[in-house]
Amino acid sequence: MTNYGLVIDQERCIGCQTCAMTCKQENNVPMGQFWNRVLTVGGEHVDTPSGTYPEDGESGDLDMNYQPTACQHCENAPCVKVCPVNATYTRDDGIVEIDYDKCMGCRYCMAACPYNARVFNWDEPEHRPEDGTGDVAERPQGVVEKCTFCSHRVEDGLDPACVVNCPADARIFGDLDDDDSTVSKYISEYNTEQLLNEKGTDPSTYYVQGKMTPGRPWTSDKLETELGDDEAAQATRRRNGAPTSEHGPTPHVPAETAGGDD
Amino acid sequence: MADADTTARRPVLSSFGTLGRGWLGVLALLLVIGLGAWAYQLQHGLIETGMRNVFSWGLYIMLFVLFVGLSAGGLILSSAPKFFHSQRYEGFARLGVLVSLGCIIVAGLLILPDIGRPDRIYQFVTSPDFRSPMVWDFGIVMLYGALNVWYLWLLTRRDLAARGSRLSLWVSDSAAGRDRDRTLMFWTAVCALPAAVALHSVTGWIFATQVGRGDWFSPLVAPVFIAKALVSGLGLLLVVSILADRFTAFTADRGELTSLGKLLGIFLAFHVVYLLAAERLPHAWAHHFGFWAITSNFLIGDTVYFWLWTGLGGAVPLLLLATPSLRRRTSVIFTASVLAVFGTLFEGIRLVFTGYQRVNINAAPGIATGGEYAGLTTDAWATAGTYTPTAVEIAVTVGVISIGALIVMAGLRYLPLQRAAPDAAYATDGGDRTQ
Ligand code: SF4
Ligand code: SF4
Repeated sequence: MTNYGLVIDQERCIGCQTCAMTCKQENNVPMGQFWNRVLTVGGEHVDTPSGTYPEDGESGDLDMNYQPTACQHCENAPCVKVCPVNATYTRDDGIVEIDYDKCMGCRYCMAACPYNARVFNWDEPEHRPEDGTGDVAERPQGVVEKCTFCSHRVEDGLDPACVVNCPADARIFGDLDDDDSTVSKYISEYNTEQLLNEKGTDPSTYYVQGKMTPGRPWTSDKLETELGDDEAAQATRRRNGAPTSEHGPTPHVPAETAGGDD
Repeated sequence: MADADTTARRPVLSSFGTLGRGWLGVLALLLVIGLGAWAYQLQHGLIETGMRNVFSWGLYIMLFVLFVGLSAGGLILSSAPKFFHSQRYEGFARLGVLVSLGCIIVAGLLILPDIGRPDRIYQFVTSPDFRSPMVWDFGIVMLYGALNVWYLWLLTRRDLAARGSRLSLWVSDSAAGRDRDRTLMFWTAVCALPAAVALHSVTGWIFATQVGRGDWFSPLVAPVFIAKALVSGLGLLLVVSILADRFTAFTADRGELTSLGKLLGIFLAFHVVYLLAAERLPHAWAHHFGFWAITSNFLIGDTVYFWLWTGLGGAVPLLLLATPSLRRRTSVIFTASVLAVFGTLFEGIRLVFTGYQRVNINAAPGIATGGEYAGLTTDAWATAGTYTPTAVEIAVTVGVISIGALIVMAGLRYLPLQRAAPDAAYATDGGDRTQ
């Protein structure tokens, strides 16, 4: 079976925030909310290290790392277990998703998620431009939302937007159940960590630390498994020609340049 | 009580009077303000509350926890003696169940303003996930509410029938009927005690099952919830009884008041001294070396809520009730009970704070709070949870509580809550069937 996962190479990550921005755009995330955040592990502020400069007898132990953080798509997801109405559920492909028509906004899942990956629409969601961005319909006031691993793209044989747009090739998406996938290989060959491992949530997001990987191996936005598959390529083209849902905003990729191989 | 219906107990308020009507007016006004505030919040969204992405449960849930606890006292106090075929505290039984009912209704209603889409709450029934402690709690709150309604009616229906009240429904008053009711009361008591234990444990497990929220994830939370239900439930029952004794025809037996005060003291000692120590000592012992470091770490509290709970709401009432010369005075019992309820309120507040104040991953810039987007400000991010309730939240909460108070007022006026006259022909209900 398919079990999607993400490898983030912290040694490759340059902290440029592109994944955070592209996520916000692709998923039509309202103003004031983020599904994906690039955290600075180090000093008290963004882009600041911990430790001291090697001057005036100080040790010079400056240290800083970037940790892009979104929903970890936990295998033992507390958010799924607490949702009283089955609005949050795990798909067959391992993606943890929310049915926005079912969610009643009790926010138990926000209490349950140890990663603070979930955000709630406290008021009428606001977008710039007003019609919204990206390929996903906006979520109403009063429901919880979060990263979906861009399931709308994955279903069409495309990698998540954050993966495609990472300029450092630090994000690799794929099937954890397939031993030949890049994610599986990197997890077995490199030193990877799962965030808050001790909580037992078993995230499907792995962070490479120590030795740098060769990064994401393809420059296409297709899933590895889909490359060379004509039918999938056609599906992609068909999809890019029209909005994905009736209420959805217009796609950000104009129809004439569709294909996504840029 | 020399008139015709000597055997039937009567309501303790024969009419509302000026004071009663004034009080009803105040409650109705609070209810209207609360409804208005809720309408406003529905329209504008939960942005009108003090909650945000990091601190995502607030006053509504804190008071839900309090009122679930408060609903324990009456039902337990009236069913526990019946379970043992005892007449003790019989005078408090009916008022107690009435107060329990009011509290569980307040608790249930407090969930409505907390959820973002109350229009979808029916999904609890149509699409439940039985793994969720919230589904368990939904079930047990409903069950407990129904049990309170049934029990209150069972306790009063023969007297209602004797007085010709329509509230007795189809039941009529007869000696045989009263005997049968006593059996029913015993069996209701048999169900009520485990239901109360389940209610408080399950409410505790809503928090105690969460790995992601610091101190919530503790097996002690459920027993602590039981202890705090005993403390606050009995505290509230004493407060209401003393007030009813003062302002209505209800009479609270002095001796029983004192003994209930003593019982409250025991509950307080168990909750605030023993369970707190049991919760903290192992951690303090494991994390510190010197004797004083260990002691101070497990004795010294963290937040102001902690002190309001353990000091003002714990140690002070405990001292008052532990002193024999003091606890004989009704005013002292009243003060201690008010403080005990007050302390439990702050324990609930503290519990929610311990879960949300600290976040597990607090690297900069933190979490987007999701508040109103106000341009180029930096307060859109937070690395720790902060919370202050807004006027809207307070107004809604007070409105919901006023519903509970109105229910109790209606009960005082229309239900036969009066103590049984000692020489009444049918004695008191709920006793030993063989007597
Ligand atoms: S990271 Fe949080 S929201 Fe995502 S699956 Fe895990 S618990 Fe759920
Ligand atoms: S807020 Fe929505 S998704 Fe989260 S637990 Fe409640 S109903 Fe489920």
